[in-house]
Amino acid sequence: MATFHFLDWFWLIAFIALMIGSGVRFYRLGKRSESDFFLAGRGLPWWLPASSVYATHTATDTPMWVSGVVYKFGLSGLWYSFYAAWCSISAFVSTKIFRRSLAYTQAEWQSIRFGGMSGELLRGWVAGWQVFLNMFILGWVGIAMGKVCNYLFDWPLWIGLIVFSAACAVYVLAAGYWGVVMADFQQGIIAFIVIVIVSFWGVHAAGGPPAIIDKLTAMGEAGKLNPLNFTGLFAGDFPVAWFVTMLIIGILGGLGMGTAIDWFPEAQRIQSARTVKDASWSIWAGSALVILRNAIWAVAILGFFVLYPDLTEVKDYEMAWFRLGFENLPAGMLGFFFAAIVAIHISTISTHLNLGAVYITRDLYHHYINPEATQEKLVRVGRIGTLLLLLGSFVFGSIMENITEWLIFALWIMAAGVWLPGILQVMWWRFNGWGYLSAWVFNLVFSWLVVWVLPAFGVLPHLRDYQQFWLLMLLGAVVFIPVTFLTKPEDMDRLVKFYVMSRPVGWWGPVKREAIRRGLIEGGER
Amino acid sequence: MNLFRKDWTPAEADEWTIHDTLAVVISPLIYVLILIGASLAALLMPVGFILLAIGAVLFFIMIKVINPKLTAISEGYEKKQKQYIEELEKKVKWED
Repeated sequence: MATFHFLDWFWLIAFIALMIGSGVRFYRLGKRSESDFFLAGRGLPWWLPASSVYATHTATDTPMWVSGVVYKFGLSGLWYSFYAAWCSISAFVSTKIFRRSLAYTQAEWQSIRFGGMSGELLRGWVAGWQVFLNMFILGWVGIAMGKVCNYLFDWPLWIGLIVFSAACAVYVLAAGYWGVVMADFQQGIIAFIVIVIVSFWGVHAAGGPPAIIDKLTAMGEAGKLNPLNFTGLFAGDFPVAWFVTMLIIGILGGLGMGTAIDWFPEAQRIQSARTVKDASWSIWAGSALVILRNAIWAVAILGFFVLYPDLTEVKDYEMAWFRLGFENLPAGMLGFFFAAIVAIHISTISTHLNLGAVYITRDLYHHYINPEATQEKLVRVGRIGTLLLLLGSFVFGSIMENITEWLIFALWIMAAGVWLPGILQVMWWRFNGWGYLSAWVFNLVFSWLVVWVLPAFGVLPHLRDYQQFWLLMLLGAVVFIPVTFLTKPEDMDRLVKFYVMSRPVGWWGPVKREAIRRGLIEGGER
Repeated sequence: MNLFRKDWTPAEADEWTIHDTLAVVISPLIYVLILIGASLAALLMPVGFILLAIGAVLFFIMIKVINPKLTAISEGYEKKQKQYIEELEKKVKWED
């Protein structure tokens, strides 16, 4: 249990006051319109959404997760966090296309790309799924904060779950996305500085870099220093087959939209950038910082491994980075460290509060319930949505221990079977709304069969995660490709409008020729 | 073919060219170099610093190759953005 002194409390209180103050400061901007409350008026320079990408993806549970995989696999474990690499391609492909569509959300984009009933069904489905998912993530991250506070102060879990999320909600309710992105900028800087300080402090505590290398070698664990420490082509904990699958999912996923869970918060940051170029560089730079952060963490975790090599329980070694800070930092710095943990925590909370609210407001209320709503009314609904998400997250957080396995499964199935359709909807003109919808629906069925039902009856062996991915992709394709060809293509007028506005890449030949024929774009290849 | 071309028109920049291909190949490579290079450099291993240096050079090349094109796309697009926003509100309306 940690003991705080005056200086520690000072850091913590000063920081929380700074965050809430920034929200109040941007209150007037946030309340102007729906666009301001959810996209900061589409006027941000690249470095603001970039810092928000970085801050959002640095959550309380992130160091636990990175600690877990690096403690177990060494530097090879870093590849578990390399899914963020989808941004490296997305920045120059799908980010441009999405920014040019001007859709507030991925759900809205579905109804720009696909028309008729299938487009509407997809919009409603994606919006509903995102409201649920954001509430779930808020609960997940919230309970992680509960665990940290329990470890530090012996508080009951609910205190950490509720107090900091509620404090964060003050500035999200007041200023919407303006508050989120401005606070993220400060939080991102504070968090990065502290990650560097604590990690290098931990490395120093382990004797410094040369000592870590020597000790790992002496322990017979030199393989932990090799980022490509494969255990075989298909065998072991880190096979080549898993690595290749991860690279394909992570990197090629950037060609599409919705191919990664992180796409959805990134979509909001893309639309909040003031130009297409700002959007591209914000996504690229924000994710590059995430990658750099993981590398710094990994070295600290190797230091922790050298200090405590015999931990076998995940719950023990996943706290590695936190323990390095709290067991080694001097008095006065502990409060600064905890303030940074609060920063890490509420930067993620604020994003998902506002992101869930945009789906409630823009895609459900504004689209289906009250299309003539005034801007004032929409901002009010945005605030009500924020509050609902906050309250829902408390419920999720309190039952998280019991439902995590099911919800991780839910997250997995949403990624596996719709990964390829997520790319095709961007790159292939003939792929239609019914094809994409069938991919979602049948993926639900196939994933239950492949992951749970068939192995339980001995029909199928228990497959590893990368094998499940390939099988689910194949099964999905057996459905969505015939469905696409058996149903009509999207209306050519809609496709031409979409093409001229967004200029997607890939197989868009017939649509491009029609756009040229109508004189909407210049013809001829360079 | 000039890889470091600066004088793109918006219409030219909208077409997929070798510059885009180069950017999407170099970009993930830079991420890999950051990930491995930074972790090994923090352990004071010389190979880490070399990988980071290669990453920095590739980053510089990527900027030179793709940034002028992105600038041209942005300039062309932002002129039409207001009109597009008005069209979007009509197109995605539930009652249409």
